[in-house]
Amino acid sequence: MGEAKWIGIDAGSTTCKAVAVDAAGDLIASRIEPAHPVIEDQAARLVDELRAEAGAGGEVPVVATGYGRKLVRGATRNITEITCHARGVFRALKQPGMLVDIGGQDTKVIVIGPGGRAVDFMMNDKCAAGTGRFLEHSAARLSVAIEDLGPRALGAVGEESISSTCTVFAESEIISLVARGAKVDAILLGLHRSLISRVVAMIHSVGLRSPLMLSGGVARNLAARAMLEQATGQKLHLPEHPQLMGAYGAALVGLESGADR
Amino acid sequence: MLTIPTRAEVVRQVRERGERVAAVLPIHYPRALLRAHGFQPMEVWGPPSVSVVEGNAHFQAYTCGIVRNATSFLLQGGLDAADVIVIPHTCDALQGMASVLKDFIEPRQPVATIYLPRAARSADRGFLQAELHRLAQQLAEISGRSPSGGELMAAIEREEEADRELGALAEHRSEIDLGDRDYFTLLRAREFLPAESFIELARSAPRGRGPDRGVPLMISGIVPEPMDLFDHINEMGAHVVADDLACCSRRLYRPGSASDPFERMADALLGGPLDPTRGSPILERARAVASRMAQCGAKGLLVYDVKFCEPELFDVPLLRKHLTEAGLSMLHVEFDMTGSIAQQTLTRIEAFVEMLQ
Ligand code: SF4
Repeated sequence: MGEAKWIGIDAGSTTCKAVAVDAAGDLIASRIEPAHPVIEDQAARLVDELRAEAGAGGEVPVVATGYGRKLVRGATRNITEITCHARGVFRALKQPGMLVDIGGQDTKVIVIGPGGRAVDFMMNDKCAAGTGRFLEHSAARLSVAIEDLGPRALGAVGEESISSTCTVFAESEIISLVARGAKVDAILLGLHRSLISRVVAMIHSVGLRSPLMLSGGVARNLAARAMLEQATGQKLHLPEHPQLMGAYGAALVGLESGADR
Repeated sequence: MLTIPTRAEVVRQVRERGERVAAVLPIHYPRALLRAHGFQPMEVWGPPSVSVVEGNAHFQAYTCGIVRNATSFLLQGGLDAADVIVIPHTCDALQGMASVLKDFIEPRQPVATIYLPRAARSADRGFLQAELHRLAQQLAEISGRSPSGGELMAAIEREEEADRELGALAEHRSEIDLGDRDYFTLLRAREFLPAESFIELARSAPRGRGPDRGVPLMISGIVPEPMDLFDHINEMGAHVVADDLACCSRRLYRPGSASDPFERMADALLGGPLDPTRGSPILERARAVASRMAQCGAKGLLVYDVKFCEPELFDVPLLRKHLTEAGLSMLHVEFDMTGSIAQQTLTRIEAFVEMLQ
């Protein structure tokens, strides 16, 4: 493991991620934790931790991304999540194509061109529909742990249809389904279908391209992955650390800027 | 720095001249006809910073901000200085607003409407001329002033001159030595300045080398509100080199040649630049936008739409398709007609700028 040359911070709405890269652009250390309301302090602490772990004691410059990027103290640059995710996934999977990033509170569809540049994108960040929050909220309603969502949906016998992609309206649908005795797993399958239908609509608005890549917290959800593959007819390519791609891309942008520490 | 009078100052000057004020909703209307009847048009594009409680009470949740804000503004007394309210039939939302005003709100001022045809066949020209005659009669009844043909023609020629100046500003953006916000403030002064004052102002705009900073963008949509948008765009490392905005370049009417004033006004309104609210074919619009982008070196098109603006939204998917096929980048964002721009909207624009850098 080389010594850290750049740190990327992705101050997201639900999680805060930090990644350190070495001179070769390899990911050498990382942190991920739930987002703290005081982003400045959390980001500063994560940077300190990474510097201590991989920075050989010196200063390591920081590039910030994510919705809280402008609050990260001491960042030499702040770059949008679109650019950073494109760069991070391109480096991780070594190919251009279409990236779907389903995060906690936003979903991005990014067309990645040669060199890892974003060449087109669409973002849903105005409401929870079609984002991880939709599943998280519904899971809480049904008292199912997040990590059990995918396996239980995949194991469902039958499927309850959830017609709404809106988190609030879906909740009322869940309440009525539960009230009439519907099976929880069948409801979960319906919820996943609803989420994926919204994501697929975004993909088609931009224009489906191959290869199709997936990142973000929802990439860990097996049912969401299987249903996205089924709905698009594409095999999904996943980076090793799907939740860290924004922070990784931010660190890579710093490294590529040539302004070494 | 240009000194542009405020709307309130213009209203005062109009009053001092013994003239009246017409509050006019977007987009196309016969300015010369209003002026010849003694009304100074004062256009209402929102405005953005009003409480919309009153407007919300009269319209569905999916009605655009222009209609909602303008209605609230009226009910809050913002249009008290107006002697007439003119509502062109630009879209269903404005047609709805005209009905709500006439049938429910019944403001102190008379409400005049004008129906604009969606095509430019000879039947449409005849229809529009009849509409203009009808409006003229209504204006004459309100003002007690019936301009002669000569007076009407003089007003038309003055407006044509102002349009030529507006066209020159749009055409030679790179030679106007004003930052984006000041430049668009100047173009938008056409919304409320009398033609003769606008001509003077436009001619006094500093010429030289215009701003040439960062990624060149073209902006499209109805109206760029709030105007802070331009400051944000500049901070992101981009600048605006051309526009396809309803409040600016989509109203570069060609000077007419007909000797009949009504025919000439109708020709101008029907022969204006391509515009979704006038039913312009999307392929033609896309080609025109692409060629304007090439002409002014724009690297991307920012479509900045008022939320729920139907005519604009209908065109977006095909505009995007045609521009993508032509190898051009486009970003579509929607905004609420409020005093600030949502952070998410700014992030998208910033990502677009990064993409084009
Ligand atoms: S913003 Fe669109 S929908 Fe609203 S008044 Fe203007 S043209 Fe009509």
